[in-house]
Amino acid sequence: MVSLVEMPQAMPQQLSRQNDRRADEVNGAEIMIDVRDLDFAYGANKVLHDVTLDIPPQAVTAFIGPSGCGKTTLLRCINRMNDLIEGARITRGAIHLGGVDINAPEVDVVDLRRRVGMVFQKSNPFPKSIYENISYGLRIAGINKRSQIDEAVEKSLRGAALWDEVKDRLDEGALGLSGGQQQRLCIARALAVEPDVVLMDEPCSALDPIATAKIEELIQELKMQYTIVIVTHNMQQAGRVSDHTGFFYLGKLIEFGPTTKIFTNPSERRTEDYITGRFG
Amino acid sequence: MPPKHILGTFDEALSSLRNNVLMMAGLAERTLDRAVKGLLQRDDNLCTTAIADDEEIDQLEKQIDKEGVDVLLRFQPVASDLRRVVAAMKLSPNIERIADQATNIARRARKLNRHPPLPEVEIIVPIQAHAMAMFKDSTDAFARENVDLGRAVVARDKDLDHMNKMANRRLTDRMAQDPKQLRGYLNLIFISRSLERVGDHATNIAEDAVYAAAAEDIRHQTVATAT
Repeated sequence: MVSLVEMPQAMPQQLSRQNDRRADEVNGAEIMIDVRDLDFAYGANKVLHDVTLDIPPQAVTAFIGPSGCGKTTLLRCINRMNDLIEGARITRGAIHLGGVDINAPEVDVVDLRRRVGMVFQKSNPFPKSIYENISYGLRIAGINKRSQIDEAVEKSLRGAALWDEVKDRLDEGALGLSGGQQQRLCIARALAVEPDVVLMDEPCSALDPIATAKIEELIQELKMQYTIVIVTHNMQQAGRVSDHTGFFYLGKLIEFGPTTKIFTNPSERRTEDYITGRFG
Repeated sequence: MPPKHILGTFDEALSSLRNNVLMMAGLAERTLDRAVKGLLQRDDNLCTTAIADDEEIDQLEKQIDKEGVDVLLRFQPVASDLRRVVAAMKLSPNIERIADQATNIARRARKLNRHPPLPEVEIIVPIQAHAMAMFKDSTDAFARENVDLGRAVVARDKDLDHMNKMANRRLTDRMAQDPKQLRGYLNLIFISRSLERVGDHATNIAEDAVYAAAAEDIRHQTVATAT
């Protein structure tokens, strides 16, 4: 298996690390994730139809749409989480990350998931200490030097705006944190391995308004360094945090564009009807 | 017509806001009509009624603001809904100012009515007709979401400005020729100016109507960007 990062010579279209080189420098365009003509099916059930969109780097892209429209499926395609579901497969098209086809046989999926972190709807810290939650991914990546891990833990917790709240109790269990803190810990865990992309699947749906505001504020800070893709049912949240919005309906991408445009003057009637609450 | 919202109360709130704007526009139109008729027909009663009507229009402005804020707070509208609410809240102060201009005209008309009629009052007739037509068409553009009509209203403001300028010139000349009627001519100049201001507010309304209908900001366009 080939690491996406460590195979520069063998793969002409090597996956670029955003921290090293931006995707646009590789491709000559402002594209981090290039989804092209994508069809996806769970067994015989086709759930994504001919989806094409370009996700720009260092920006927040939101996917919105009614339940079952395929937005989470597409999100999970970006780090191949759907590989874990039996019978789930891309039947047509491709996704390129920094110019590399993420479904190419030589791509190391573990490495891909390191480059493309994910935060889920419900916070899912390991039943371990706060420190171990962050260090776990680093150890898996082969980093064992204590000083290096300490540095990464602090950097990640600071990056997730959690450091000040937990710095004196890093050895305490992560499950003792509040829901909002647990979600930020999960974000810190994703940041620890220095990804290029962070996928967020309804990251605030289980949080109160204060914890939600903290996560949204964090997203704004994270986009300076990372490409963020967020799935949300909260239209106001999409409007607040995202730079670009894609509206999905029945497995199709109906409209994709700047968030301000989508929420003030969408081009498609179906987008307008959905965001204004006229569906049904 | 767009389909109804899933939330019926949202439709009701938007409908109430729109109806209040249209009612306010209708009242302001009637007030302006009464004020100018009070001048041309030398009818103090019409002038007094026009002045009294202003109170109801002021109250409607407050009501529209309150309902607009309420809709923003309760339903967080987006897209065309948001544009309609924003436009309604921007329309109402312009309509209120038109009613204020009508009140100014009615007050000056009462002053003029105390003196022998001035033949120059006829100068006001075409200016009033132009200003009133602009106002009616601007509210119509909002009510029907008619972008072309809205644009046309904006283009007509220059003609009104010119008419006002010509009226000023003629009335200023008359002031020099007949200084005894100076006060009367001055009142007519102010009435002409009030009608010119009605045109400015109608232009604002038309611009907001275009924004509500098409999400297009046509304010402050130079000739180059407008074409």
